[in-house]
Amino acid sequence: MDSRVLTLAAVVVALLIGLGVGYAVWGGKGAASTETATATTTAAGQEASGAGQPEAKEYKYTVYFISHGGPGDPWWGPVIKGAELAGDLLGVKVIYQGPEKFSVQWLVNALESAAAANPDGIIITITNYQALDEPLRRVIEEKGIPVIAVNVPDPRPEGERIPYMSYVGQDEYQAGYQLAKYVIKWFQENLGRPPKAAVIGIHEPGHVGLETRAKGIQDAFREAGLTPPEKIDITTDTAQAYSRFESYLQAHPDVEVIFTLGPLGAHPAMDLIRDKGLQGKVYVATVDLDDKILKGIEDGVVIAAVSQQPFAQGFLPVVFMYLYLEYGIMPPSHVPTGPTIIDKSLLDLVKKQIETTGGA
Amino acid sequence: MAGAPTSFLSLKGPPVEGGVSELGVSRLSSVLAYREVGVLAAILGFLAAFAAVNPSMLSAEAITRVLNLASDRGIVAVGVAFLMIGGEFDLSVGSVYGLSALTFIELVNHGVDPLLAVALVLAIAAAIGVGNAALTLYGGIPSFIATLGTMWIIRAFIYVYTGGLSRFAEADLGAASLFYRELAGGLATSALIFAAVAAVFHFILTSTPFGNHLQAVGGAPGVARALGISITRVKTLAFIASSVLAAVGGLVYAARFKSVEAVTGVELPLEVIAASVIGGCSLQGGVGTILGAALGALLVSEISVGLVLAGVPGYWYIGFIGALLVVAGVINQRLGWRGE
Repeated sequence: MDSRVLTLAAVVVALLIGLGVGYAVWGGKGAASTETATATTTAAGQEASGAGQPEAKEYKYTVYFISHGGPGDPWWGPVIKGAELAGDLLGVKVIYQGPEKFSVQWLVNALESAAAANPDGIIITITNYQALDEPLRRVIEEKGIPVIAVNVPDPRPEGERIPYMSYVGQDEYQAGYQLAKYVIKWFQENLGRPPKAAVIGIHEPGHVGLETRAKGIQDAFREAGLTPPEKIDITTDTAQAYSRFESYLQAHPDVEVIFTLGPLGAHPAMDLIRDKGLQGKVYVATVDLDDKILKGIEDGVVIAAVSQQPFAQGFLPVVFMYLYLEYGIMPPSHVPTGPTIIDKSLLDLVKKQIETTGGA
Repeated sequence: MAGAPTSFLSLKGPPVEGGVSELGVSRLSSVLAYREVGVLAAILGFLAAFAAVNPSMLSAEAITRVLNLASDRGIVAVGVAFLMIGGEFDLSVGSVYGLSALTFIELVNHGVDPLLAVALVLAIAAAIGVGNAALTLYGGIPSFIATLGTMWIIRAFIYVYTGGLSRFAEADLGAASLFYRELAGGLATSALIFAAVAAVFHFILTSTPFGNHLQAVGGAPGVARALGISITRVKTLAFIASSVLAAVGGLVYAARFKSVEAVTGVELPLEVIAASVIGGCSLQGGVGTILGAALGALLVSEISVGLVLAGVPGYWYIGFIGALLVVAGVINQRLGWRGE
């Protein structure tokens, strides 16, 4: 009999822990129902804007923001901040859901769970259109919940692709294309000739987004009548990347530009140039920005970097969702948040962006 | 596994057919039944808590989501629990799950008939189960280590084969798409498969001599041997069951997402072991029920869906599962063999 008592006690403890944790979370972060909204806005407001909002706010709309990245990945920090601030300003309750680690299974489950809550809108990254196709069509066509894609679109042509209202984010092809065009122009303006040769370091060959960026770079060279740069696999290990760039430069002394598709390639390329005293002979051009790359732009090792302005990728879809829900305004089918070419002339502005939003 | 506690199998009478159940299981069953009631209480408690935050939790849609989500994980948990009751671990289930989804998609993409592909996938999984059993039983390696090894070996094969990228089903899955198809009301066929698998294995464990042997082998191997039970045969079959059910889970995944990632199933082994333990399985073997493990999987899925509905960031999920696991561990410890 005493074991029964113990079990009962333990089950009660389990429930209490569960409820306690639940309350702590729900009290701090807010829930979907309106009764609880008043209790939670102060905390949410302070987090999002830092300004502190004394007045409790009623949320008119609830929107789920589901992405394949989360606080574990620093790139998403500004996205989350942007989405929460927009929600706070407009009276939209934004519930951000991101996995610990990338998983399509997680993404689909989160979407279907969110749909069961019948929110006013869903904002989601389309990282795997095959897996998301059916569930998203059900959400859009059967449940009538408006959907905006963010960060990664469905790459298929219109008509075939998932019928979301709008895509807010960078066009990966344009990111590479515009970057390479800028680099060619920069060489013309500063040296009166195009670069003799260039190379692209790809840290995850086969990754659709990165491959598309690389294709954009190669096409820009082709259009300018130049030999498209070769792609080399530099892996995600920066020590490997360093030595592969080093060997490539030894074998191809003509190379004047190293294109990289993210900080994982840009950092070792910059280190190599500094270590070998190649400043002014070899330059880096890259996609995405961080502090180290900003410094590289400042001291001339990096010609330019493409920013996709993550804060805007959080902020804008919430705004467009609000305009749609409140006023019936259809968003444009693609809202680009980049590519924005960051060179020396834009340094101060970008510093401001990083300071205020946490990233660029 | 370690330390054969002999209380329920201490032989007071001649070792006759059905002796095991007469000697101990009937007394145990009241306690075991109680474990399931505990999990059920937790399921209802969480349901009430989530519904209080967001009434949509009680909608038919949310409930079917929970059932659908529980299904592939639950099918795997049934096999893992079955083997745990037999006193062994299978950490390779996540890799078998991923490998099965991948093999199935690749075979179908290369023009193999989907049903034949299913048969091949299940056969490969059974072979892996035999391999795990051989390593453990003939190699003398603890199953925790043996299946940790096979888990990584299979995963490495997946990484090398896919180059770390996703594979997509290009061909029609035919009849195999029945592994996951949403029926009227949104309930998926996989939930029905889960229910059927749980029922069958529950029956095997509770109502067949093999089930009794499995519990004896897991709880008191010395006594089981004395009773003339072939430990090798019983455990090998349990390893095969665990591996094959992991493959069924992988087929559900493939039919649902029509794609597979290189990392599909990486988190699965610990999740299903957690579900089994929450459902009352003991890591020492010999203890646990299939119904408990199935309910454990259901509870884990309920929390996963409930947290989204409650608007709680996804990161909290593993925290909840961790808390539940600790509490379940305490219960298991109190009800387990130690105190008796």
